[in-house]
Amino acid sequence: MIRHSVMVGWADGPLKRYVDDARLQFTVLMHRSGQVLAQHGFQSRMDVQTACALSAAINATADSLGTMIDGAPFRGLHYAGAARQMHLAQLHVGDGVLLLLSVFDRESSLGIVQLYLDELHAALAASAPADEDAPPALAEDFERDLNTNLAALFGKR
Amino acid sequence: MSLVNYATREITCKIVYYGPGRSGKTTNLHYIYGQVPGDRKGQMVSLATQTDRTLFFDFLPIDLGTISGFTTRFQLYTVPGQVYYQTTRKLVLQGADGVVFVADSQARQLDENIESFQDLHANLAEQGVDARQMPLVIQYNKTDLPPEIITPMAELDEVLNFRNVPSFPADALHGPGVFETLRGISEQVLRRLSTGERR
Repeated sequence: MIRHSVMVGWADGPLKRYVDDARLQFTVLMHRSGQVLAQHGFQSRMDVQTACALSAAINATADSLGTMIDGAPFRGLHYAGAARQMHLAQLHVGDGVLLLLSVFDRESSLGIVQLYLDELHAALAASAPADEDAPPALAEDFERDLNTNLAALFGKR
Repeated sequence: MSLVNYATREITCKIVYYGPGRSGKTTNLHYIYGQVPGDRKGQMVSLATQTDRTLFFDFLPIDLGTISGFTTRFQLYTVPGQVYYQTTRKLVLQGADGVVFVADSQARQLDENIESFQDLHANLAEQGVDARQMPLVIQYNKTDLPPEIITPMAELDEVLNFRNVPSFPADALHGPGVFETLRGISEQVLRRLSTGERR
């Protein structure tokens, strides 16, 4: 059976504090598969999804490459661009591993980000809900909405 | 793993287009990208080689609109089909909510289809996923080619579709079958969310 993860904003508070404390431009918390859990700073939801897909790919690649050439996955990736820097971290929360992409400019630094990352990690670990069953999300007659929406997307009506 | 946000009433699902090299996975996404209005899709990201073969994955986020009161978004991925990108395929398959297997209908590609289908099942098993429980549809692409060089759909079904999942003939380059395939996998994936099944 397929699990669906229930999000009720448990990460929003800790993430907001992290953005303020570490003076970030934007940040996004995601599953290792690239699914968005929470974000601050992105204007477009589509941009968030793309950022997550690429971050998950970077993480997976670094895991495999590190294991191959150094015997252990590379962790805590950091890249300094001309105007912005990004930091990609793995956070062990509950039973799983989440990824956190942090983007900052000259208002912050790698040291500050790492400092507040530890606090964020602890806050997330404390607030993460236990994995439990949730009620069905969709009504049984969801097909009508699905068919109507897909037809509209493809210009079939 | 579908993500459901009951507070904001949002659902996000990951769909992976899987199949042998040059079967038309990326072409499916290109066609969808071309059809979906700009405000309902994100940027299509293609990590490809200089010859446009998929190196890592293609990615296209689309907004399906409101379904049963939930804003529903699908993240469409393709895997690289070439045999030597095995590691990459495993990475992209992680967390998939549904799989579209894009088979190449050309008769000379039959062995590649079988090998890729077996590869899919092996990779799911390696990730602890019971392939029988994974929403799956099969698309037989390139059915527009001359009949003498393609394998009839009934024969392909006999070889590949032992689970009797929904299967669709398609010409992804020009569009026929792409919509039906996406609707097929969408129904299967979302049905899980209407019955509250868990892994």
